[in-house]
Amino acid sequence: MGAPHDAPAVVLDGVSLCYRLARQRIPSIKEYALHWIRGALTYQELWALRDVSVTLRRGDRLGVVGANGAGKSSLLKVISGVLKATQGRATVNGRIAPILELGIGFDYELTGLENAYLNALFLGHSRKDVDERIGDIVEFSGLGDFVHSPVRTYSSGMLARLGFAVVTAWVPDVLLLDEVLAVGDVHFVKKCEERLDGFRRAGTTLVFVSHAMESIRRNCNRCIWLDKGHVRAEGSPEDVLGLYEGEAPPA
Amino acid sequence: MVALVTRDLRVRYKRSALGLLWTMLQPLLTMGVMVLVFSSIFRFDLPQYPVYCLTGILFWNFFSQSIVASMVSLRANAAILHKVPVPKAVFPVATVCSGVVNLCLALVPLVVILLVTGHPLRPAILFLPVAILVAALFTLGMGLLLSPLAVFFTDVVEMVGVALSLLMYLTPIFYPMAIVPDHLRMFVRFNPVRSILEVFRDPIYFGKIPPLTHFTVAFGLALLAFTLGALAFKRNSDRIPFYV
Repeated sequence: MGAPHDAPAVVLDGVSLCYRLARQRIPSIKEYALHWIRGALTYQELWALRDVSVTLRRGDRLGVVGANGAGKSSLLKVISGVLKATQGRATVNGRIAPILELGIGFDYELTGLENAYLNALFLGHSRKDVDERIGDIVEFSGLGDFVHSPVRTYSSGMLARLGFAVVTAWVPDVLLLDEVLAVGDVHFVKKCEERLDGFRRAGTTLVFVSHAMESIRRNCNRCIWLDKGHVRAEGSPEDVLGLYEGEAPPA
Repeated sequence: MVALVTRDLRVRYKRSALGLLWTMLQPLLTMGVMVLVFSSIFRFDLPQYPVYCLTGILFWNFFSQSIVASMVSLRANAAILHKVPVPKAVFPVATVCSGVVNLCLALVPLVVILLVTGHPLRPAILFLPVAILVAALFTLGMGLLLSPLAVFFTDVVEMVGVALSLLMYLTPIFYPMAIVPDHLRMFVRFNPVRSILEVFRDPIYFGKIPPLTHFTVAFGLALLAFTLGALAFKRNSDRIPFYV
């Protein structure tokens, strides 16, 4: 939408991401000053991603596997623009729908409906668009009259359903999914999968982080294996998962 | 943006029964205390002291509350900053906008006091929106300057709290300039917050449009604060999500 059809949907060009772990050590100006005086301002650097380059064409569905802490979620955060790459560049053409964690940033005092509205606006939809779709969102979430209750009264399943309903209410150009399908009852998971199938037919590019090898085999046409921030292997899901499962015990 | 402001206001007023009324009542009560204290204990004669005092309180509440709230706003919205790519400045900006709405609501009791004391309202009152805009620009600048700092260092919020209370006494909120001893007067005079306050107070209390020189200084200060704040915020905004 808006982007030329032949342009790649996602380009990661030598992306590295570094977390400076100074936060735990120097949480206050007082301590900062003390450290600075002693010349002991050292940071522990943690490179969550190192020189990752991936290009996704429109309609590609990339699965991302790797052990905990390998940089999978960081990769999604860089693609979505939540975090800026320390080195290298991430470019996305088109509208992104990021589902990074469950219950995207809800305000617990507001009702489900108000939160859905606010979140849709955060995702960059216009007020008019949201007005048009808010009915669908409520319907898809299956929350019924609960949408008028404050979110603090919701169960985690209800939060996940509402979050998913908001983010997927519009067909995105690029969808980022961080193992969300693991929650919710069977009925809701089925509804989600139907919606994702619809996106696939519409040509949405997918980046899917999961420990569920089966979902990756079923949903993806490409796959990368991240290991300590490096791309360890890249190719078809069959090949990469074969290598991955060969080394790591199945999670 | 508008949605964020309404959210802030709604969350603020939702759980207290007195809600809106509180915003109006609180400055009135503070004024009551000040009137009692200053007209009986420390005596100075200022015509229509309640009006003088209330304009100061309204301005100061807006300024200090907006600054503290902008500093907290980024952390309070950490969940959103971690999950949705939004321009980070919307949070402090929305905070200051809610502050302006609160300030306008708090003008209602001021009008009541004006009627009760029979203080004349002159046409210069029409200048008030401009004064509020200048105050908002200045406050937003300070908020943008301080809010990334508050994310990187948790003790900044307390330090600013102390600085604000010192600043409050250096600003002629409760007292007139005339009672300030000579050796201290310089501090009060060169306090930028005083300039902004006077632009706000002139149309209400003195019923006059602020003199051009005063206004230019105040506007210049506001513009300077805003520019500095915007630059500082821009420089740091990419780092914010790592720290909240």
